[in-house]
Amino acid sequence: MHDEASRNSQVDGKHLLWVDNITKSFSGLTALLDVSFGIERGHIKALIGPNGAGKTTLLNVISGILSPDSGHVYYRGKDLTRLRPHEIAAQGLSRTFQLVRLFRANNAKVLDNLMIGAHLKLKPSFVKSLFLRGTIRHQDRVVLETAYEKLRFVGLERTVGDTSPSSLPFGNQRLLEIARALMSEPEMLLLDEPASGLNDAEVEDFKKLLLAVKEKGMTILLVEHNMKLVMDVADEIVVLDFGRKLAEGNCDEISCNRKVIEAYLGSDYANIAGGNHSG
Amino acid sequence: MKVKRNLGWLVLLLFIALFPVTLGRISPYYNTVLILVGIYVILAVSLDLLIGFAGQISVGHAAFFALGAYTSGILTAKHSLSPSIALLCGLFVSGLVAWGIGRAVLRLKGYYLAMATLGLNAVIVKLITGFASITGGASGLLNIPPFKIFGLTLQDHTYYYYFVWGIVILVMICCLALTQSPFGSALIAIHSDEEAAGTLGIDCPKYKLHVFVISSMLAGVAGSLFAHFMGFIAPDDFDIFTSILILVMPFLGGIGTIYGAALGAAFLKLLPEVTYRFQNYELFFHGLILILVLIFMPKGLLGILTNVKNRLLGSKYLLNPSSLGTDR
Repeated sequence: MHDEASRNSQVDGKHLLWVDNITKSFSGLTALLDVSFGIERGHIKALIGPNGAGKTTLLNVISGILSPDSGHVYYRGKDLTRLRPHEIAAQGLSRTFQLVRLFRANNAKVLDNLMIGAHLKLKPSFVKSLFLRGTIRHQDRVVLETAYEKLRFVGLERTVGDTSPSSLPFGNQRLLEIARALMSEPEMLLLDEPASGLNDAEVEDFKKLLLAVKEKGMTILLVEHNMKLVMDVADEIVVLDFGRKLAEGNCDEISCNRKVIEAYLGSDYANIAGGNHSG
Repeated sequence: MKVKRNLGWLVLLLFIALFPVTLGRISPYYNTVLILVGIYVILAVSLDLLIGFAGQISVGHAAFFALGAYTSGILTAKHSLSPSIALLCGLFVSGLVAWGIGRAVLRLKGYYLAMATLGLNAVIVKLITGFASITGGASGLLNIPPFKIFGLTLQDHTYYYYFVWGIVILVMICCLALTQSPFGSALIAIHSDEEAAGTLGIDCPKYKLHVFVISSMLAGVAGSLFAHFMGFIAPDDFDIFTSILILVMPFLGGIGTIYGAALGAAFLKLLPEVTYRFQNYELFFHGLILILVLIFMPKGLLGILTNVKNRLLGSKYLLNPSSLGTDR
């Protein structure tokens, strides 16, 4: 009983998202074991750890693609654990993928991707499409404007809406995916290694974008290997190793943490902590 | 711009409207051919919604064609219901069956979905053959009356021609409206990546079910039109070969484009009118043309037309991309 009470206090408090004792295994292999942590509203929280630590699995559990063996995910005090991905998205959580997953079927264009991102706002149905053409046309105009606004926001203002997403350079495809995730005006973003494959200049721009997103009041859970980026933007860091939570704290605490250095950062990191070492 | 974009439609409508009083008058046989073309256009276009847009491969579309045909046929031939009401019943029954089995069947993906729909087709044909007292069994259902609307019997094929093509155009408009709306975009998202679509808030099972039901209802309408046109239907009309024929049409014309599916249906239904001249070699030429089209025209017949159009008009669209953004 007192467990429930403490959980509620954590949930009702300053945490927007609370991951509570999540365990997930794949046919005997434990991917996550009793992982708990919270994210405060308006913060950027980085989730770091070696490859195979369970970071993506955790994102998949939060976004409802996987359901955990035990444990819960609370968002604004509401239990998300048994909800399907689209229901979780409707709560205001939007995500991107490690390998960019843009829609390309039927020659879908950049703008189509953004239009699909606005799905939660449009709530399309076949009835509307057939009988309320006026509404659809009006919605299209509004969404089109939002789409260009989001493209500008992520720095893709020079991208032509009518091109195939495959024709964009890789870095821009990532930005487009983020713009798509922003189309529904989410409260929280889950980003899975958004800076991987970006060059230094692009990472620098991306850092500004993350801070601009934060400025807008959005909360971000950031899975990332680029330690310089993490140290520059994150309010707190949580470290996973072999599916367990190894440490949690602010950037200074994590960069001095002996266990984290051994498991992930490397022994030479302590010496140049805060420098431009990328993990 | 607006006139230019609708020019194709105007020419097409004019052709459809004038056909029976010009070419059709010279040889009325072609009116009947074009009625069948119209029915298959409905089938191909409705299947294109399901395969080309939502990415759900069905190899059993003839099952819903059969449900519409037999519902309408039985109600009019044995219970003397008015054909227009029977057509709505056919639409309803096809939709209801699709809704009933859709949720289970659409959980399957790719080849497995294809196998399940193939099985469904076989089951429906077997059921029709089995319930001989209701359906007439393997020897078929006789004495289906011609279509009657507002007390006017469309016995004359010219009238029925206009009726069928009226419905074809209505179906085309509906399908274009569906696909050029956020509903269509959601289907394309499901086609590309169901998991990613889900994380953007798209309820994939719901949308897949909706498009399956719509597609099946349209096939039901085609079935009803077919039954009243033929006056006699048998299980053979709706077997797996019919399903495969319907499946080839959108691929031939250009999958994922409503116009392409219609073009494929017209091409495939009109091809025998040309190849029959080769008599004994008819099947050979029929197959050869199909293979050539599928190998050398990966975007289908519509892809060629678009290429020709771009070459004639110059690709000015490509030079002024900014105007395209608002073209939705």
